[in-house]
Amino acid sequence: MLFSSITFLFFFLPVVLVLYYLIPAKGKNIVLLLASLLFYAWGEPVYVILMILSICLNYFCGRELQEREDDPRGARRSVIFAVAANLLILGFFKYYGFLLNTVSALLSVDIPYRELPLPIGISFYTFQAMSYILDIYWKKAQPQKNILYFALYICMFPQLIAGPIVRYADIERQLTQRKFSVRKIGQGSRFFIMGLAKKVILANTAGAVFEQISASPASSLSVMTAWIGCICYAFQIYFDFSGYSDMAVGLGKMFGFEFRKNFDYPYTASSITDFWRRWHISLSSWFREYVYIPLGGNRCSPARNILNLMIVWSLTGMWHGAAWNFVVWGIYYGIILVMEKYVWGVFVEVLPKAAAHIYTGVLVLVGWVFFFSPSLGYAVRYLLAMFGAGAGFADARGGFLLITNWLLLILAVLCSTRAGIILFRRALGLARGKKARMAVETAAYMALFFISVAFLVTDTFNPFLYFRF
Amino acid sequence: MKNRNIRENMPTIAKYIVLALIAGYVALLMMNVSGSRKPFEEISAAVSGVLDMEILTEQDAQALKRNFGLNSSDYEGVLYYASDSSMSAEEVLLILVREDSQIRQVTDALEERVESRLGDFEGYAPEQVKILEDARQSVRGKYIFFAVSEDAQRYLEMFADSL
Repeated sequence: MLFSSITFLFFFLPVVLVLYYLIPAKGKNIVLLLASLLFYAWGEPVYVILMILSICLNYFCGRELQEREDDPRGARRSVIFAVAANLLILGFFKYYGFLLNTVSALLSVDIPYRELPLPIGISFYTFQAMSYILDIYWKKAQPQKNILYFALYICMFPQLIAGPIVRYADIERQLTQRKFSVRKIGQGSRFFIMGLAKKVILANTAGAVFEQISASPASSLSVMTAWIGCICYAFQIYFDFSGYSDMAVGLGKMFGFEFRKNFDYPYTASSITDFWRRWHISLSSWFREYVYIPLGGNRCSPARNILNLMIVWSLTGMWHGAAWNFVVWGIYYGIILVMEKYVWGVFVEVLPKAAAHIYTGVLVLVGWVFFFSPSLGYAVRYLLAMFGAGAGFADARGGFLLITNWLLLILAVLCSTRAGIILFRRALGLARGKKARMAVETAAYMALFFISVAFLVTDTFNPFLYFRF
Repeated sequence: MKNRNIRENMPTIAKYIVLALIAGYVALLMMNVSGSRKPFEEISAAVSGVLDMEILTEQDAQALKRNFGLNSSDYEGVLYYASDSSMSAEEVLLILVREDSQIRQVTDALEERVESRLGDFEGYAPEQVKILEDARQSVRGKYIFFAVSEDAQRYLEMFADSL
């Protein structure tokens, strides 16, 4: 089920909220768990069983770790088993086709195989499960005794499908003690509406422009059109994913949970290092916490540190998808981050602000080309078009796209910086008095909600981009 | 002491049981849900080979757009057969999608098509309503199969065997 669907907005969410708040505190987790299983089964009736089995496996692995807390060697064996089992399940569903295709290409033989569709959200819930196991092993958290509470941590519907990846240590206490208030529900609703608007008004509209451009052969694109396409994709993926994350954070608040923010205006970053502190924060911090630091982090020789960074970024690329363009995308960022750390970072720091933003923006846009391309060949052709080897510098099509989408582009720029939210707050602040301000704010959010619904009704099925990861 | 040992080892035993269940579940999925990497031409040849050509004729991209609202160029492969008679609801559609995200788009279109055809035939052609109600649909990997026919089950089996 999609957050941005009529069924979710007008049936699922209101019913679950009413049930959740009608039921006494003891039963709230059960209501939320059942709702989460239904939410997942709605779109993945076959794979809900896989998720339940994965929950059971990790629950028992956690209990086993508890039994072995006085036996370090036994605990080490258990944690290796648990992590390997999780990686094996994820690897089988996500990477085995890619692996066989690669072997087929290398050996020049056709290896036929049966393929299974990728279970939605498997990368997210497997990473959460591994966070649970590792947090217990490193004694950052206690094993959860109640399997239903543990199941809720893994499959809580607000963040099940596309994150943010919640670390067990961050949410352990909230599973049993969390605060509910009308104020929090209100805050959650605001986050949710803002996220919904980002997705259906901005992301889907920018996505339609990108789709139109990417449907043409890359060699037929002028520099202007290729850049417009890439910029539209950059806005699409940002508003799509950050919109989803806002909705997840908002829903979490409505049910009394607090999730960490997943985005912090990444397109205002002044370097690539800064960009990755602001983009998909939960994934970056997962890799830092569970891969980079255990590998030695930066408390080692520069050579080892560079290796650690490259390992982490290759894995980050692979996490996004089983295709070479994602691997290249990860390595691309690995190399830039290494260069910023050891070669040109000091120069980037002293650049004038505008130049630093242009430097970051261009590198991020080039990165998105690897990300959205169906193959490496297409990525190279698209990049060539962006840098002048396509159909000239500017053409009528590029001009037409610019004229017909200028408002979208201005809105997207405003909303991807703090300027958008500052303007919005200033507009609300024009109302005098607390009551008037509250009335204007409510009306503004209601209007945003109904505009989003109007977009939804007329739009085709438009899932979130990060569902495929 | 023995009881304590059993209690301590319970999670270990349970995790192996769950792992075995996962293996069994994956095997079941491979048998019943998995798609195929075989080329579209091979699957479509196998399916079209069993169709009743006296009733069904191959349709073009316009017919697909008209009847299902789908653009054939959006997909890796499309095979569409339907009856030319306006008194018959028989049709068979095989689509190989490019991306998993297209599956939902196609299955929604199939659902709408069945509903619309039921609306067309309800009240005066009970045998056509019956085959529409018994329509067969299967999603196997990136392949989507749909059949409205008295032989729908046989066509579906042929499709599954051809993967």
